[in-house]
Amino acid sequence: MSEMRHGTSEELLALRDGEGSAWIREHVAQCAACVAELERLEQVRSQLRALPSFAPPRDRWPVVRQAARLERRRRQASWWAGTLAAAAMVVLSLLVLRHRSPAPQDASLRQAMAESAAMEQVFRSLAPDDRAMTGRTAGVVADLEDRLAQVDAALNDPSAQRADPGRVAELWRQRAGLLSALVDVHETRATYAGL
Amino acid sequence: MADTLPLAEAKSLVARARAGDFAALERLYRTYERPVYTLARRLTKSAEDAEDVLQETFLEVCRSLRQWRGEGSLWGWIRTIAASKALMRYRREKLREWEPLEDDVLAARAGVDVPLRMDLEAALERLPERSRAVVWLHDVEGYTHEEIAELMGMTTSFSKSQLARAHDRLRRWLDAGVGA
Repeated sequence: MSEMRHGTSEELLALRDGEGSAWIREHVAQCAACVAELERLEQVRSQLRALPSFAPPRDRWPVVRQAARLERRRRQASWWAGTLAAAAMVVLSLLVLRHRSPAPQDASLRQAMAESAAMEQVFRSLAPDDRAMTGRTAGVVADLEDRLAQVDAALNDPSAQRADPGRVAELWRQRAGLLSALVDVHETRATYAGL
Repeated sequence: MADTLPLAEAKSLVARARAGDFAALERLYRTYERPVYTLARRLTKSAEDAEDVLQETFLEVCRSLRQWRGEGSLWGWIRTIAASKALMRYRREKLREWEPLEDDVLAARAGVDVPLRMDLEAALERLPERSRAVVWLHDVEGYTHEEIAELMGMTTSFSKSQLARAHDRLRRWLDAGVGA
């Protein structure tokens, strides 16, 4: 008579995890040794989960904070570089347009750019960085900043501008609007905080 | 570990951190530093490596906060970043621990005699790194073999066989019998 085969560790672990084959299910129903092994595997898992956690030996927060600050500054510098590049692109476009016949959209573009520049100045004067804000406000600010980044990216795309020159003024108006909304958010926050 | 932050609070903290509020970022760090460090300790070979993983994880969290959309657990998202950072070290260091070494070779490397009986903590520590990672990710963190395979760049069946072999070794070391 051949000796009965027991379940392998892999088969029993699969059963423990609720994925066992039909054979191992049937086998365990009639094999006390495999039942004991299955219980042992369950116990080991419970004991592993009960092992104590470790506390980091040193506080790494100051390093993380410093690196995060540097990265944020780099991102802002690159945002400003993008803004300046967009402005330079439009100035160039204007110079080119000036040598052609004057179009009514030129005045509209200049006005939109001036509004954007004015709003930018007000926004920066509020020094919005590094101030605490509520989660709701932060969500609004993050959304506005995302949309602003999208507008800047569009303003930095010369091929799109060549394809639709009328769109540039519209983008600058959108930019001024988004900056105005950011100013509103920060001014409201400053009023509530008594700043 | 279950996420200790309620979802609404996690969303609020992440939004504030995204907008540059460092107090919110610190709160996130303080909430998850211990679980991240514990996971890193289980997946790396030294406390120093685990500290590096802790730091790298939170720098990645700061960079990628916009990617967490608040649809799943924040801890689940951070944990996957931490596991990836820890497991990436295997690839960087090109460790050749993939095939399990014989017990006496492992003991000689550690410069200690093989004890007749170990506690679970010591036995776990003694497993080869990748086997330990599979055991920890599957049995403690609840990752599926498919998820582990993806994280570690191996097949599902290999993850299953690593888990089984690791349990065989743990059993041998934990057994009371002399000559385990």
